[in-house]
Amino acid sequence: MNDCERLSDRMPEVALHRGVWTAEEAAHLATCAECRAEWELIQAARDLDARAPTIADPSALAADVLSRLAAERAKVVRARRAWSFAGLAAAAAIAVAVLAGRQVETTQGPQVVAEGEPLVPLPELDGLETAQLDTLLQSLDRPVAGGSTLDASTLGEYEDGELEQVFATWEG
Amino acid sequence: MSASPVLETPSDHALAAAYRAGDEGAAAELVRRHAPAMGRFLYSSGASRDEIDDLVQESFFRAFRRLDGWRGEASFRSWLFAIASNALRDEYRRRKGRQMLSIDDRDLPDTADPHADLAAAETAERLRQGVAALPRLQREVFLLRSQQGAGYVEIAAALGTTPGAARVHYHHAVKRLKELVR
Repeated sequence: MNDCERLSDRMPEVALHRGVWTAEEAAHLATCAECRAEWELIQAARDLDARAPTIADPSALAADVLSRLAAERAKVVRARRAWSFAGLAAAAAIAVAVLAGRQVETTQGPQVVAEGEPLVPLPELDGLETAQLDTLLQSLDRPVAGGSTLDASTLGEYEDGELEQVFATWEG
Repeated sequence: MSASPVLETPSDHALAAAYRAGDEGAAAELVRRHAPAMGRFLYSSGASRDEIDDLVQESFFRAFRRLDGWRGEASFRSWLFAIASNALRDEYRRRKGRQMLSIDDRDLPDTADPHADLAAAETAERLRQGVAALPRLQREVFLLRSQQGAGYVEIAAALGTTPGAARVHYHHAVKRLKELVR
């Protein structure tokens, strides 16, 4: 490292009053035009700092920053809650769909529909007698054994058209 | 007679840890401590006076959101200045590169020797424009070194480069800028 490089490394320290030139450094500075130009630059850069506007109210600025951070945290919490709710809603929708599918299997699938059990659309329930409604409710309350009422081992006995109907039932 | 207890100023590390633990007062103290210097850094980097408060606020907001990213290799201030420089760059991009520097009457001198002060003000403004026009790493290294007195190791840690590369950036910046103040 030559004298110019050594001086260059020391310039910020001296410009910021954290050190002083040695006699040797001062002598070099007095005779080296390039180092003098760099020294003027470093002092001008330091003074540039002094020309900058001041922050009017750092405490108010701190309050603004904290307020923004709090607002963002609240936003994240709301988003998480929304996702949780959406997850629960989706789970509920899936559960309803599965139960509805089972119900369809119970009422429409092969070997599922008991003879005499009516498939009654909901709007027509109003027209039923109390006894008929009781019968319908009992049929709905009957537990579904083994998670499915369909005996898959018997599928091989069906014609193509019947199989299509079974698959259509499964797929809703 | 017992000595009165000395109240030590908490370090940046201590304040950052306190904020991570939920103490918002620690964050406020960090803002109060570093906001003025950050404002000066942004001004020297080319930000106009009118937008410095907003840029300082944005920089601290970003800093506290990712405070875990500061691991203490660089000083907190150097790390903050790197974030402020990013905020300034983003603002510059948002304006699609429109020049941000402005000279208004607040930059003009009002002291006893108006001619000398005017010359100094013009030199300062020329330098500020020259600094703003530097490539980003050259600008950041030059300002961290000339205004904060940071060493190359610390600068490298703050800017994600090596001390050797930081030294090269500094000397390129000096070479470009010293013509502006001759």
